[in-house]
Amino acid sequence: MRARSILPRMAAVAAAAFCLAAAQPADSPVNVPEPSGLYTGPQRGYTPPTLKGAKVVDAAAVVALIDGPDKPVLIDVAMREKKPANFPEGRLWLPVHPSIPGAVWLPNAGAVPLAPEREALFFERVSQLTGGDKAKPVVVFCHVECWGSWNAGKRLVEKGYTAVHWFPLGVEGWQDQHETRNLTEDPAWKKSQAAER
Amino acid sequence: MRPTFALALGLALSTAALAGVPAAYAAGASDTDQERAARWQEIAKSIFGDRTIAPTDTLVKLEAPKRAEDAALVPITLTMPDRDKIKAVSLIIDDNPAPYAAKFEFGPAADTSELKLRVRVNNYTDMHAVVETTDGKLFEAKQFVKASGGCSAPMGMSDEEAMKGMGDMRMKFADAKPGKPVDATLMIRHPNFSGMQMNQVTREYTPARYIDKLTVSAGDQTIFTLTGDISIASNPVINFGFKPDGKPIQVAASDNQGGHWTRSFTAPSPTN
Repeated sequence: MRARSILPRMAAVAAAAFCLAAAQPADSPVNVPEPSGLYTGPQRGYTPPTLKGAKVVDAAAVVALIDGPDKPVLIDVAMREKKPANFPEGRLWLPVHPSIPGAVWLPNAGAVPLAPEREALFFERVSQLTGGDKAKPVVVFCHVECWGSWNAGKRLVEKGYTAVHWFPLGVEGWQDQHETRNLTEDPAWKKSQAAER
Repeated sequence: MRPTFALALGLALSTAALAGVPAAYAAGASDTDQERAARWQEIAKSIFGDRTIAPTDTLVKLEAPKRAEDAALVPITLTMPDRDKIKAVSLIIDDNPAPYAAKFEFGPAADTSELKLRVRVNNYTDMHAVVETTDGKLFEAKQFVKASGGCSAPMGMSDEEAMKGMGDMRMKFADAKPGKPVDATLMIRHPNFSGMQMNQVTREYTPARYIDKLTVSAGDQTIFTLTGDISIASNPVINFGFKPDGKPIQVAASDNQGGHWTRSFTAPSPTN
């Protein structure tokens, strides 16, 4: 599998040498630049290797944080599954969201734009979860190649959180080696969503 | 995008392996397994009610890649050698949002020994094949598959392009031998939109449009009737067996938006 994967990547490196200005959304996994602010393109797409002001972590680093003395707040911002508008009545629809055990699921909190009251609630929830300690480790994630967690991390960095960890491989990078737990949506987040409708 | 994911994951895995993963988070521990078992109970109850489903390793075998290369196109093989005992088979992808992927009901012209199709897989998941025998009993086989994101993966082309030639069909036949069933492959051009795929330009969801009924017959004898769902991959390809009697193979397909297509194929005649 690796041999298959590395070739297109090498081709992409070669292609990128000819095309320094990356298009948006990026059409290659290399040289995806960090936008100066929040990313406004589609959520699905290649993401940058970095997030200024935050630490980029892999699954092992997330495990180390969880096992460490200062337990991180795990925030999953993956979108909930969209039930097709024309999905037949009575047909089985039973979405499930496996994630990192102990994570708090705030679906689509990395959306841009995010309604001001939703953004305020996002900060409020994170503040509650961190006990108001902006130096508390926070891990944000969603899926692999998903900008939602990048944006959520960016929001926290800009809000002054100093131990933001971005886990770009997300649920996919976690479930390969680790236990998952099916999450239900954070109740406060869900309630506010319902009020908005 | 997928090759990058595979690479990134590969790297992540090797790092994890080197670092030594604490046992509490290692795969295969009981909590996740229990959660999967509970989910299967819930799904089985909603599909089959209170009927007992016994495990089997002979009536049906379910084969799928342990790690799929493409979550939107995962090949599945169902092997059911006891033709005379099999009435129907259901394929359930437990952790897909719409878990009930397909049900095949077999007719008198069917040979069930091998049936193949391609599906979408949304999460690392158990898959179940449940056969109903002619005496009305249910038996299940299970397989775990590693793939994710298959239901919402965009097709990589515009919706118009994906729908071009919708309903076109082709069929390939293996060589016919006297007195033996014939293997056939049916290919239908159809995007089978899941309704969960977002158009990356407009950021709107393409409405679900999928083949919900497919009947294949040899003359007036049914081979199978398929009840399909959004978990069947785009451009469905189905391999099946049938008992030839020289009559043409008739295919009738319809989708959930009122599309209907029929086609007749000349079946091969046995050569000596």
